[in-house]
Amino acid sequence: MTTATQTSRIAQLPPAVKAVTLPALLIVVWQIWAMTLPETSPAPAPAKVVQSFIELTASGDLVWSTLQSLGRVLAGFCVALVLGLSLGVLMGASRAVRENLDPIIESFRPIAPMAILPIAILWFGTGTPAALTIVAYAAFFPLLVNTVYGVSRVDRQLVRAAQTMGVNRLRTIATVIVPAAVPSVLLGSRLAMGVAWTAIIAAELAVGAKSGGGTSGGIGQMMFVFYAYSIDLNGIVVCMIVVGVIALMIDRLFRVAEHRLLPWRN
Amino acid sequence: MNVATMPSKAQPKLRLRNVSKEYVAPRTGQRTLAVSDFTLDVRAGEFLCIVGPSGCGKSTVLNMIAGLDQPTGGDIEMDGHHVRGPGAERGVMFQDYALFPWKSVRDNVGFGLRHGTPGAGLTAAERNDRVNHFVNMVGLAGAEAKFPHQLSGGMKQRVALARLLANGPDVLLMDEPLGALDAQTRMVLQVELLRIWGEAAEEGDRKTVVFITHGIDEAVFLADRVVVMSSHPGRVSAVIDIDIPRPRRESIRSEPRFGQLTDEIWSLIRDEAYQAIA
Repeated sequence: MTTATQTSRIAQLPPAVKAVTLPALLIVVWQIWAMTLPETSPAPAPAKVVQSFIELTASGDLVWSTLQSLGRVLAGFCVALVLGLSLGVLMGASRAVRENLDPIIESFRPIAPMAILPIAILWFGTGTPAALTIVAYAAFFPLLVNTVYGVSRVDRQLVRAAQTMGVNRLRTIATVIVPAAVPSVLLGSRLAMGVAWTAIIAAELAVGAKSGGGTSGGIGQMMFVFYAYSIDLNGIVVCMIVVGVIALMIDRLFRVAEHRLLPWRN
Repeated sequence: MNVATMPSKAQPKLRLRNVSKEYVAPRTGQRTLAVSDFTLDVRAGEFLCIVGPSGCGKSTVLNMIAGLDQPTGGDIEMDGHHVRGPGAERGVMFQDYALFPWKSVRDNVGFGLRHGTPGAGLTAAERNDRVNHFVNMVGLAGAEAKFPHQLSGGMKQRVALARLLANGPDVLLMDEPLGALDAQTRMVLQVELLRIWGEAAEEGDRKTVVFITHGIDEAVFLADRVVVMSSHPGRVSAVIDIDIPRPRRESIRSEPRFGQLTDEIWSLIRDEAYQAIA
């Protein structure tokens, strides 16, 4: 009886409360565990992480590094967007193009962005161009695949309907095929942005490893410095949290955009 | 039962001569004759219904008239001109409505006027007026800003009809437009369709309609003539004159003549209908 009432009371809590309850509990447990350790222990603790966050924010390092990484992601994403959309529309519209390019695309797709890092570094050095290449490569495939899907799956009946209304071919592409493909392209963009953000952190970590730090910047680089030079685990945790929060914000931003741009979907 | 030998006062609106359509499967090369030796004249201002068992090629015939599919044999003419491809003078209302999901009701109705040939020479204000006129005619006033996914089946059907009419086609090609609706809505819309077609107007002011349906009672209720098709391959098996006077009211459904004509048509397709599900 009591158990049943308790369960239902928990079920009645607002979703936001439910969402933070468990993480809050874990943080408390983590803090208690950390307080049992000697003062000199390098193990991260919630209180120290917060302190580190405040310091890093106050110095401007964290904000600057984050902006640098975001800037690279945006630039790489734009390169991927231009390439992915144009090739995607071509492949989606022409079966011949699709059938010829598909084997090449599909054999590159499983190659993780990190796997092309050695080549990127050899060609472009350890700076921004190499990181950009990784990001663009990572973001390219979700954009391409979803654009191809969107364009090739346009309802044929809608194209036929336009033809029976005296709409010419070029106008049909602009007024039927492109709008019909927009949802797929937006989905591809959201996925691409997600993997681009993942890839930039990894790329900055690796690029930093070779250059010895300090030259390329970005939040991944910052993590690498904390790991290899100052051995500051609290700083690394701060970076991890920032990376996670930003990924979440990017995803939410795209979802809002999808909602705004596609009011005709339920 | 009268075969299509009507005294034509003038040139027919549509003329189909020995039209056939053969499909070749891309892999196997297997040939399927969907429509064979289909000959029919459709008079200007006539409401013509085509009925037949499922898969008899009704839609194929309609799509060929629309110019969306090319016949593999024979010839289709409109007003004496060979039909080469789709054009706005032959408007189509599709079975699944084919509404643009990203366009509001208003923009769907105005699509052809804005992007196609029907809008040529019209000012934006004139287009707007025309859209409003047809939106009101089909009873969609107040729903102009809605998107298709927010509409019921009956409302979507009205949008499709308004869009068809707004483009001002000479010939209306309708592919089971009421097929997806429940029985009550369908009956209401049949009456409305006749009103919009211009049943009460002079015969010369009516549009030419080719209407595909699987409902025999629907065909008898709406049509001047009913073309009965048989399948494998699809061809004309009979053309029935519907000599029920217009304007037609709901009450004609219970009249003996209505029942006779329905029975007569049913007897023509019954055997094939049973075979189709056997």
